[in-house]
Amino acid sequence: MATIYFSAALTDFTGGIESLTVDVPRVRELMQAVTERFPDLADPIEIMAIAVDGEVYQEPDYLKLGENSEIHFVPRIAGG
Amino acid sequence: MLTQRYEAPTTVADAVRLMQADPQATPLAGGTDLLVQYRVGLRRPSAFVDLKRIPGLVGITLDEVGMRLGAATSAAEVCEHGEARRLWPGLVEAVGLLGSTQIQGRGSVGGNLCNGSPAADTTCPLIVNRARAVIAGPQGERTVDVDGFTTGPHKTVLAPGEVLVALWVPRPAAGTGDAYLRLIPRSEMDIAAAGAAVSVTLDKGGTCTAARVAIAAVAPTALLVPAAAEALIGTKLDDAALVRAGEAASAAARSIGDKRGTAAYRRTVVGVLTRRAASIAAARARASH
Amino acid sequence: MSAERTFEYIGTRPIRHDGLDKVTGRANYGADFTLPGMLHGHVLRSPHAHARIVSIDTSAAEATPGVKAVITGKDIPKTNAKLSLGEAAMELGPMGDNALAHDKALYEGHAVAAVAATSPEIAREAAEKIVVVYEVLKPVMTVDQALAPGATILHDDLVTKGKPLADAPKHTNVALRMELKRGDLEAGFAAADLIVERTFTTPMVHQGYIEPHACVARYGEDGQVLVWTTTQGHFIVRDASAGILGIDAAKVKVVPSEIGGGFGGKIPVYLEPLAIVLSRKAHRPVKMVMSRDDVFRASGPTSGTKVRMKIGAKKDGTLVAASASLYYEAGAYPGSPAGAGAMCVIAPYTIPNFMIEAYDIVVNRPKVAAYRAPGSPAAMFATESVIDEIAQKLGMDPIDLRLKNAAQEGDSAPYGPKYGPIGLKQVLEATKAHPHWKAPLGPNQGRGVACGFWFNAGLNSTATVSLSADGSATVVTGNPDIGGTRVAQAMMVSEELGIPVERVRPTVADTDSIGYNDLTGGSRVCYATGMAVIKAAQDARDQLCARAAKIWDVDPSCVAWERGRAIPLNGASDKEPLTVSALAAKMTATGGPIVGRGAVSAPMAGPGFATNICDIEVDKETGVSRVVRYTAIQDVGKAVHPSYVEGQMQGGAVQGIGWALNEEYIYDEAGHLENAGFLDYRMPVASDLPMIDTVLIEVANPLHPYGVRGVGEVPIVPPLAAVANAMAGATGVRFTDLPLSPPRVLKALSGA
Repeated sequence: MATIYFSAALTDFTGGIESLTVDVPRVRELMQAVTERFPDLADPIEIMAIAVDGEVYQEPDYLKLGENSEIHFVPRIAGG
Repeated sequence: MLTQRYEAPTTVADAVRLMQADPQATPLAGGTDLLVQYRVGLRRPSAFVDLKRIPGLVGITLDEVGMRLGAATSAAEVCEHGEARRLWPGLVEAVGLLGSTQIQGRGSVGGNLCNGSPAADTTCPLIVNRARAVIAGPQGERTVDVDGFTTGPHKTVLAPGEVLVALWVPRPAAGTGDAYLRLIPRSEMDIAAAGAAVSVTLDKGGTCTAARVAIAAVAPTALLVPAAAEALIGTKLDDAALVRAGEAASAAARSIGDKRGTAAYRRTVVGVLTRRAASIAAARARASH
Repeated sequence: MSAERTFEYIGTRPIRHDGLDKVTGRANYGADFTLPGMLHGHVLRSPHAHARIVSIDTSAAEATPGVKAVITGKDIPKTNAKLSLGEAAMELGPMGDNALAHDKALYEGHAVAAVAATSPEIAREAAEKIVVVYEVLKPVMTVDQALAPGATILHDDLVTKGKPLADAPKHTNVALRMELKRGDLEAGFAAADLIVERTFTTPMVHQGYIEPHACVARYGEDGQVLVWTTTQGHFIVRDASAGILGIDAAKVKVVPSEIGGGFGGKIPVYLEPLAIVLSRKAHRPVKMVMSRDDVFRASGPTSGTKVRMKIGAKKDGTLVAASASLYYEAGAYPGSPAGAGAMCVIAPYTIPNFMIEAYDIVVNRPKVAAYRAPGSPAAMFATESVIDEIAQKLGMDPIDLRLKNAAQEGDSAPYGPKYGPIGLKQVLEATKAHPHWKAPLGPNQGRGVACGFWFNAGLNSTATVSLSADGSATVVTGNPDIGGTRVAQAMMVSEELGIPVERVRPTVADTDSIGYNDLTGGSRVCYATGMAVIKAAQDARDQLCARAAKIWDVDPSCVAWERGRAIPLNGASDKEPLTVSALAAKMTATGGPIVGRGAVSAPMAGPGFATNICDIEVDKETGVSRVVRYTAIQDVGKAVHPSYVEGQMQGGAVQGIGWALNEEYIYDEAGHLENAGFLDYRMPVASDLPMIDTVLIEVANPLHPYGVRGVGEVPIVPPLAAVANAMAGATGVRFTDLPLSPPRVLKALSGA
């Protein structure tokens, strides 16, 4: 089971729901589950990075999720 | 004009002739101001007339009356002149403030004066040391006080065809000391937001018998401040006298506000610099007895 | 990652391979490249900060002898294409419009036309003959002007992205509003014993790289394009130029030169698309070089900012609530680092209740580019100033206050995820223990301390390691070397293969000669490209082991690698170990050339933390200040080459001190930049500063085989507040507006 936490920037698109727990094997399926449930989220999260258990990835689509994985959508950061 | 001529005359007469023949030509000494202004498009002269190959335009001669400084002599050469440093420590320190080590290898005191910047570091020390400017022109040579040589920002008394050939500084009277201080936000490679030069002469009893004060970057030209000098003359250069001199300098400032500081800021700090420079000049004068 | 691993090469200080060429002036930078028949380009720039371009007449320029091509915005396609950099997506439409304006000049210095001619002088003179008719519009120069009711609007089609306020106007200069929040803000502040609230401003500043932008482009009649340029990412130059011009990226080859500094400012393309189009028109190669004036007016800078910061604390120093509003100038097009600033602003501390909002605001100034930890310095200036004031008011040691609230592994970052192993507490402890912290101060001196936070990027990297027959090796990557990354990469190969650094040649290859690499930026190269290098070296090592097995005629499982040699294991123990040289000599016989390859898509490295201690001395009669002692302490993960890590820390500190003390864009009321040169844009010179002491703390990053973390950006974050806090200590005045230039300091001290 993985839990996705929605930041203040995203709860407008989830009807105020701040987290969602889903039973999926990988990030790809998790993204499908999230956008199925909240179609309006598709656009904003497309340009975000994804933190899986604290590690921030750009496109971790095929990353396997752990027993109690925590997922956050994080704005992408441009470095200098 | 897509190309510029470069001329390198070997006599003053040739330099004057070249300058007279082409009003768009410009004399070139170290080029540390001129070439920068040229490259950013501020000046587009038709010809550069290099003065450095003319004998007498480069070099320092010192006799019992004073120092003749060739107009194109590099700042570095002045700074390395031990006797000049002993006689006019304030002036030579000001020369040492120009640009950077590399700039000082090329840039000259004459060029600093002719550039006509109100913030020029060497002009005020020349003025307080009663320096004279030797000018060659179509009608021959003339000599004017450095005080008054610049007539406005980047404007001088030089008439068409005239070139500055030398600066002459009289030997200081016994018991004289000079000093120059400037304010820049950095430690070097900068242009003064304000500057102050002071020369004082003390009698054996420590009373100030003569003084000159000139301030930089607070008026369209370097400014001689007689009121500040008067605040010093006749005193023992005690703290109260120094403070009054600083106040007189601030009062004389006709500063403008720009990217280098507000008018009020410049007026305030030019007083502080005058007071501090007077204090250093006084110590040097006392030590010279 | 095994914490016990001991290193032979990592952590040593060999001479860099590119060092001699650089110190002798032999290295080739962007402007050093020439081709036969090459033309010189010159850009005509807008004299107005905001103006509609009514018409452009280029006929007189075209008729000038020696002129071979003239272009205007009409020659650059308008596009909606985006480029995914792995980082924030790059909008190519605005980048193209910024390179050459289509309809409006949006800042003084905005390119409106370009000329290619047989000499730079002819190009410049011809450009001056171009007649542009402008309809001058009112410029919007500050965030306050941009947000004012009835403000002039820069872009008619701009809509606020993110989470706009409910009552936000439809026509706006706000490109983005974002929010981060947690807990109950009101309850948090209600529980506070002390609340400090102040508004801070920082000026627009430039990265100040010493090398101006420069490139040469050659457009072939067959449509093949070659570009030589100085850049932080030649793959980005390729993809951005191709995208803007609608050319197939595979038709564009970009060769990077040595780079004389970038700091984020050499990521966008400015000259390259113009040079390509001029070359296409002129059928000759075209060189373009910016003047310093161009660099200041039309490249770089980073946002001027306004940050309102409010923090509540208990008497014991526990921080209970924070609210912050960040307003960042984006320049002429959206894209300020306001969002990053919001993510950083309280990141070092565990504050249970917070609400942070950030605004990206367009103004008539040059489009901002990334600048070292973009967004963080201005944000942390606000936080670290307020924290300092809280410590002062509570009578607490400022380091103890920070330690009490410092984030550590397992704490949730304000932007969501939990921190992995981070070194903030170790850095703070080291700061407290440093002799500098307890050293006595002289008269008119003050001491300040401040923290910094920054993310460290990961992203895509490729590397190859090839062996020569004599046993020496080359390592090839695609990241321009800004901070000593080549020598670091060679050291990694040495570590893996056991050959001396001097026998490894590191090379930065062009876009055709190595797989894709994201840019040199985000403090990522030593970490992510390093991972690719280690993988490539390990791949080469595995091949060497296989060759040894072939020579020994044993199963590959009977061979291991140890300190530069293939050694026999059980079943082959009668064999003599084989060195790299011995194996390389037999390459042809054992299967041909040995080429190891590594490619990674690395996650972010995990954030970096730093603290700085600053001693400043103030002349209270003139407002002039001097930094008299400075110490930078940073968690660097693992220092591969400590000299270059220290160099990064020192360089970042110097840039931050400049930002704090004297650097600023000064505009007149009409929006003209008044100090577009190093004389009046005052970066520190060497004699302004004392030796910047450094302390390296190594808290290993578990994502990297050696524990490497990014080190290049966080050093610029602490200085702004460290200097301002020192100034507060020296003068008793809390300064909230940078820079702390002498006139500003004296004005505050005189109470005027």
